[in-house]
Amino acid sequence: MIGIRIHGRGGQGAVTASRLLADASYRDGKFSQAIPMYGTERRGAPLVAYVRIDDVRVRERELVHEPDVVIVLDPLLSKKQSVASGLKKGGLLILNSSLPPEKVEIAGDIKIATVDATKIALETLKLPITNTAILGAFSKSVGYPTMESIEKSIRNQFPGRVGEMNIAAIHQSYEEVTPAVQATHTEPVVEESDIAVGGYGVLKDVSSWRVFTPIIDLDKCTGCRACWLFCPETAIQWKDNRPEIEYHKCKGCGICVEECPVKCIAFERVVA
Amino acid sequence: MVGNKATATAVKLARVQVASAFPVTPQTTITEYLSDMVANGELDAEFVNVEGELSSQVVVQAASRVGARTFVCTSGPGQLYMHHPMHQTSDNRLPVVMATVHRGNKGMMPDHTDLMSQLWTGWMQFYVEHNQEALDTCLMAYKIAEDERVRLPLVFGYDGYVLSYTAEPVEIPDQDEVDDWLPPYKAMPSILPDEVLPENLGGGSGGGDPQERWKKHHEAIVNAKDVIIEVNESYGKTFGHSYGNGLIEEYRTEDAEAVLVAMGSLTGTARAAIDRLQDDGLNVGLVKLKCFLPFPKEDFQKIGKKVGAIGMIDRNVCLGHGGAAYTQIRNAIYDLEERPSVLEFYAGMGGKEVRVDDVYKVGEKTLKAAKSGGVSTSTEWV
Repeated sequence: MIGIRIHGRGGQGAVTASRLLADASYRDGKFSQAIPMYGTERRGAPLVAYVRIDDVRVRERELVHEPDVVIVLDPLLSKKQSVASGLKKGGLLILNSSLPPEKVEIAGDIKIATVDATKIALETLKLPITNTAILGAFSKSVGYPTMESIEKSIRNQFPGRVGEMNIAAIHQSYEEVTPAVQATHTEPVVEESDIAVGGYGVLKDVSSWRVFTPIIDLDKCTGCRACWLFCPETAIQWKDNRPEIEYHKCKGCGICVEECPVKCIAFERVVA
Repeated sequence: MVGNKATATAVKLARVQVASAFPVTPQTTITEYLSDMVANGELDAEFVNVEGELSSQVVVQAASRVGARTFVCTSGPGQLYMHHPMHQTSDNRLPVVMATVHRGNKGMMPDHTDLMSQLWTGWMQFYVEHNQEALDTCLMAYKIAEDERVRLPLVFGYDGYVLSYTAEPVEIPDQDEVDDWLPPYKAMPSILPDEVLPENLGGGSGGGDPQERWKKHHEAIVNAKDVIIEVNESYGKTFGHSYGNGLIEEYRTEDAEAVLVAMGSLTGTARAAIDRLQDDGLNVGLVKLKCFLPFPKEDFQKIGKKVGAIGMIDRNVCLGHGGAAYTQIRNAIYDLEERPSVLEFYAGMGGKEVRVDDVYKVGEKTLKAAKSGGVSTSTEWV
């Protein structure tokens, strides 16, 4: 039996990824189980899902505490040491990251493979939803499920044009994922909070939720207060008749960018 | 397929004619799947939207009374709100089938306290282990409930989240085969079995013996065991899946010195623990308690004669009284001349995760009690 843990954020499709993986494995003749960990769902909040794949029917219902493979859908989560917690010795970490695996600062007796799933998703789906894109990388790195079965599972889940766009994403990630290399980093990163904590507006710092960051061009700003008014997180303060973003409160929803009547707020991808 | 989809699929296969439910987490997606099936023409049924569970129970009660095959589902607080009309459905001997997606009475997460709070409503109660069993049990439920010898409502429960949203392989039987095995429901000419006196309807003030209705109702549930065993066997022959004798299932109990008893999704985890225990030379078996009402007393008497200790893992507690299954098992074995120890364990309450290691330890303790002899009253919260 192999156990898999998937880290993502609400909206990135970690639960769908877990079900597609289980479904495709079943199509390959294996037994499987996909367990979502639902808390208080919210777009952007960190969450996990689990998959077991076995040759016989899976019976146990506990969570996967010592996974063989960890998949990380979010580029910023992939900078955290805790995504590797519980990962078995020699286990595989598949990260959504634009960095080569040698530059990933995660320590342990583990192997790391990276793929820029956000870039692939933006190119194929025009949205930073990385759940399907990472599955091609999984198939290449682990050896199964077969791409044929993943395609069938995707077509079943997303009939029509959306399915074909997602299939393009898995093929691109199959080609682009790096080979898995032994982790070379030695010192674990000290972290302030457990990444598996679900958010309900109580997290003091949501900056790691961002895929895009709003940046205000104050020279073009007319001081109309539209951004200040619409920000759902009260992350925009009003100082000297000008907006100022408190970035630790900004989750990167892009509402200010949308609402600005003079389009003076840029939205730049966070590179990790 | 997730547990809620498995249940909705069984409802479709059973060609249910009237379904009604109020959405409540973690049951909600059943109502969504059924509404979709009705809207796109896959299921020729009336899905009645209601403002609460009290109404949903009354809707299926009325529909069943006029001869429709009916389905209702709920969870946790919705189950509690439905309590009052559940009594009437069973008293009128209507074969309504209900799915309860367990959500405990102290929060969102699953335990069996929602359905255990309905023990006195006169419904048959099943607890299922996995998503395939949810589908199979739903189909069997109609065959049992509608049997002329039974004529009682049946509720089957499965753990919310743990099964309702977990996807795993489920085999779907062929519609034609289901149609052959489960013909359309034919309502009786009278809404009550002949032996129940009509003058006692409506509060028992009609001059007959008011206690008679309780007696008949109780006997009807107790006697349903034979039909449950029969239907389980016939389902297995037709579709290839059956679950022990329909009431309980023994797992690796040959020559076991002690057994654990588990209900619902915890049983799967317990199977993995039993395999480890026996690999380590510890002779502990497992009994899955599927049918809680009618309680399979005779089966536990047989098991009680074979083993030195029984460790009951309850995912419920009757506060101030004890685990519902634990007290029933102790009651069942009381008539034996030589009684095994019965140990009480609580696990998975309020949705607490139950790990294979936890059940392994429960197995070790139960085996220790079997070896030391004597009736133990040990209680432990795992």
